Amino acid sequence: MKNESPTNRMQEIWQCQPVEGIKMSVEEIHKRATKFEKKIFWRNVREYVAGAIAIVFLAFSIARSHNVLDSSAFALLIAGMVYVMYQLHRRGAAKSMPASAAVGPSLEFYRSELKRQRELTSTVWSWYLGPFVPGLVLSALASAAHSFHPRHIAILTFWYGLIAAFFLFAWRLNARAARCLQRMIDDLGTAE
Amino acid sequence: MSEAGAIPAVKSRQDELYHEAAGSFGPAIERLAHAYEADPDIRRDLVQEIHIALWRSFAAFDGRCSPRTWLYRVAHNVATSHVIKQRRSKGPGLIGLDELDNLPEASSRHEAADRTQDLARLMHFIQRLQPLDRQVILLYLEGMDAASIGEVTGLTARYVSTKVYRIKGVLARRFNAGGRNEE
Repeated sequence: MKNESPTNRMQEIWQCQPVEGIKMSVEEIHKRATKFEKKIFWRNVREYVAGAIAIVFLAFSIARSHNVLDSSAFALLIAGMVYVMYQLHRRGAAKSMPASAAVGPSLEFYRSELKRQRELTSTVWSWYLGPFVPGLVLSALASAAHSFHPRHIAILTFWYGLIAAFFLFAWRLNARAARCLQRMIDDLGTAE
Repeated sequence: MSEAGAIPAVKSRQDELYHEAAGSFGPAIERLAHAYEADPDIRRDLVQEIHIALWRSFAAFDGRCSPRTWLYRVAHNVATSHVIKQRRSKGPGLIGLDELDNLPEASSRHEAADRTQDLARLMHFIQRLQPLDRQVILLYLEGMDAASIGEVTGLTARYVSTKVYRIKGVLARRFNAGGRNEE
């Protein structure tokens, strides 16, 4: 072993490392594939049900409201929610990898994964955060119009300020992730 | 769900291809998963995920590349996807081969004589690499030549050759200071 080259030795060490010997029969694969599909199905159902509950709640609020400004705010929030749900449905493929996507050369796959992630993060404002803004702004105005008492205005400012801060934080976090992903994509340009 | 419901009970060509590939490359899949995931429980899940993706992919196998190339592509792509997901949730910085070569040693030289220590260090070394560098080094360690690595990764043979040359240099410096001139 003394004269063995270090890289050949590392190849030998690598290939002879102990493994657990995990084996899956074809029948087990079938079962797990079915289970996986079910998991995806129920995950989607959960998301749609959560969205539907929010929409029903907002619709109920419209029915109870006697103020046009309030009703309009709730309607805009519903519209925003529907748009976001549609986008989540459309972009659903981004959450799990289709079988066909995994068979291409690694470089191509890696680049497309990074681009997909960058697209999701760089456009988060337009498809996830932005659609709620008109409803929230109108809702803030409607709430302020109920009373001009300084304490009421202060409470509203606090809560809507908190929401705005959350939106800003989420947007900046995603923008930073998008820049990081873009750098990784640029680095791949030199790998061909 | 409808797709899953349509899975036939009898063994198809897809099943046979999977059975052969998993039989021949099962240990290689585990080694690959080890290089992508340090946590043993998550690693077992990753191995199973690779097996399922492999089985699903064989439905579209057209024979334009060897089953081995196909298997490594699928396995590396699933593992890369895993790294991207983990990276977004945990955020450990991955680095390139050159940066890794410049990092200080965690353990002393004489410890490197031990195979287990060497394997642990090698694993630690690989787990910090960016996906593409990691793929090249793993395929190299599996004994594949530059052309085969290029086929799996989609990188040019010239690029792979350069990368492999550098990998050999890094391994030589890291694991045996005297073995650098083996080229």
